[in-house]
Amino acid sequence: MQFALPPRRSPNSLPGAHSSRLPLYRRKQLKTVAIFAVAILTLLYLVSHLFFSSSTSIGAPAGTAGVVIVTLLDRQSLSQSYIDKIIANREDYAKRHGYTNFFASVSDYEEAISDDPRSWALIPAVRHAMAAHPKSKYFFHLSPHALIMNPTTSLKSHLLDRTRLESVMLKDVPIVPPDSIIKTFALEEKDVDFILTQDSEDLSPSSFILKNGDFARFFLDLWFDPLFRNYNFAKAEIHGLDHIMQWHPTVLARTALVPQRMLNAYSKDSSGASLDGSYKDGDFVIRFPACDEGKAQDCDELDPYYTMWWKKAKGS
Amino acid sequence: MSLSRSPSPHPGGGWSSPGLTPGSGASTPRGYSPATLAPNGISWAAAKAKSDEVRKYPSFSTRNSGFFSRQKHKISTRLPSFRSHASRHGYVDKVVYGRGHSHTGGAGGWGPLGRLRLMFRRGRTRVVFGLFLLWIGYLFLWSTLVQLYRRSPLGGGPKFVIILGSNVEGGVMEWKGAREWAIERNSIWNKQQYAQRWGYQLEIANMLAKKRYSHEWRESWEKGDVIREAMRKYPKAEWFWWLDLNTWIMEYRTSLQSHIFNDLGSHVYRDINEYNPLNITHPLPEFFLDDLGRALEGDGNPDSLHLLLSQDCSGFNLGSFFLRRSVWTERLIDAWWDPVMYEQMHMQWEHKEQDALEYIYQSQAWVRSGVGFLPQRKINAFPPGACGDGNDPGVHYQEEEHDFLVNMAGCSFGRDCWGEIYNYRAISNEHNRSWWQSLLDRLRSARE
Repeated sequence: MQFALPPRRSPNSLPGAHSSRLPLYRRKQLKTVAIFAVAILTLLYLVSHLFFSSSTSIGAPAGTAGVVIVTLLDRQSLSQSYIDKIIANREDYAKRHGYTNFFASVSDYEEAISDDPRSWALIPAVRHAMAAHPKSKYFFHLSPHALIMNPTTSLKSHLLDRTRLESVMLKDVPIVPPDSIIKTFALEEKDVDFILTQDSEDLSPSSFILKNGDFARFFLDLWFDPLFRNYNFAKAEIHGLDHIMQWHPTVLARTALVPQRMLNAYSKDSSGASLDGSYKDGDFVIRFPACDEGKAQDCDELDPYYTMWWKKAKGS
Repeated sequence: MSLSRSPSPHPGGGWSSPGLTPGSGASTPRGYSPATLAPNGISWAAAKAKSDEVRKYPSFSTRNSGFFSRQKHKISTRLPSFRSHASRHGYVDKVVYGRGHSHTGGAGGWGPLGRLRLMFRRGRTRVVFGLFLLWIGYLFLWSTLVQLYRRSPLGGGPKFVIILGSNVEGGVMEWKGAREWAIERNSIWNKQQYAQRWGYQLEIANMLAKKRYSHEWRESWEKGDVIREAMRKYPKAEWFWWLDLNTWIMEYRTSLQSHIFNDLGSHVYRDINEYNPLNITHPLPEFFLDDLGRALEGDGNPDSLHLLLSQDCSGFNLGSFFLRRSVWTERLIDAWWDPVMYEQMHMQWEHKEQDALEYIYQSQAWVRSGVGFLPQRKINAFPPGACGDGNDPGVHYQEEEHDFLVNMAGCSFGRDCWGEIYNYRAISNEHNRSWWQSLLDRLRSARE
């Protein structure tokens, strides 16, 4: 529509035309009422929102800070002296950074895993740690055949920091080396709930970081499903994890792979390390995969590194 | 006209040529007085009659001498004429004569009473007319307006999508006969009626047997894929209601909101011990689970419900169930089918995805906190023949209580699917009659 004159302030309109319909005092009254109504509605809205969002439930992902280090010890097969060394290593690290230790015993989960390989026990152990520390944000599972070699490095600066994680994350690499057709995504830090490494053959659940929350519950429960445990995967929970990653995109979409030496450097004597996966001085963690397979009570390979760590820990 | 050329009038007025046929319009009066009319006897008589009737008015007698004019006059004198009556008595009854006109004043000797009556009549007319307009508007616009509202986000209709699995195994496993087509057509019509009334979206999923599902590990696993697809297709919808083809929505007047979702927490039971035909251990006893994993009723907050289903006498029933769009649901659909599990279980899992869901509900703690059970008759009543022949008030359709939906579960195994659907369609039609229709029906039955 076109107006020959602007619709308002046309010269023909009487100056008192508006006030004849709505007197000035009436308009003022209305204005006040409207302002009050808006204010009250806003207040109600805010109050209801606050009220509803403040209702916490037992399912709320409460973890906002804090790291729990989960170490699963098989007290039946490991010697006490070896166990003491591992505990000393973990406790020193936790004390330096204010983390919490959670030492679990395989025998506690025997009922749950029944006849399945004992290595499956790591899953209920992590679940157990989450139940025991619901307020913690990260759960760092580390095999008992591994040492933290760089005690001054905090997990935050090493891996969990946003820019750090996004820069070290391996993108578009095959999940199961060397050539599986399923590849990792390029994720942002906020979408990552699960951080782990792979060696030359498989994903490596011996050392991983899992963020507390709904995903962790879902993922651990799925991984621990009796039908997976019954399936007789050659490498038990390791192959179970390979399988889940390749068939279940909702898990893969929350998973970040990082270079092996960031979390899981293999000792020089062990085979199976990925390219550039063997331990070099200054790496965060060293692991002794050969000891996982052996039935030895002690992991002899560990001793020289333990001495190295001891000196370093004392010195710093 | 009998002359080829018009004769010219004489200077004195009048027409020169005599013997013109009467009624041709040629015999014209010379003046206004009837005495001076032309000597055409027939027309004169008619004119005289006319001028007797209406005095003081100039009369063109020739006008009445035509056939139609005469007939018209006869007809009009036979008809009752208010006007002639009024002129005879010298006044006009305004109420009668002025009906519908805004003719005021001069109500003669009626007085204040007449005036009142007049106003009342006019007011009533106006009200009646207004009501009539309203009624017309209601008839033509009201349902459109209501549907527009329900279809808008304000009405909440777009929050719901009905997914109907149709054409089951179509084209490959079975040759569809007339009955199968009838079932298909009617079942789709039923859901269309319901969805249209409440502004829901209806997605008819073609469950055509596809090669990708024909591997023995993946038979009848399209449900998950179909739901995922629907979630992509309707990005604004929140709840997705899966319905098997052999179902019938009985009560069109019941919306999903009023039936279930306005007060979700009160309709749903989360503790499966309330009705536990599978004897599932609940809550899970494992000590390493957190509080939520071992909770009897999940976290107790209706917002954490993502899967609503019902149990029949033999366990979970997926003929009618709801899934909410959420991360939880994505995980569920993802975990639901796994090749390693299915490879081990496909001989035992006779009901495929239904058994698989029961299994992961039992074995994976995270599932339980998101599942709510509805009493079976709330969304999934059975006809006699499914789960026993009788009248189990927990299972079987109760007509007097107007159960919402009937699922002809297992009717293809030795029962008559079309017969059952036909039967329930009739009951549903009766329940959904308009009040007018039901009144008529009642009158008819009373007369008989």
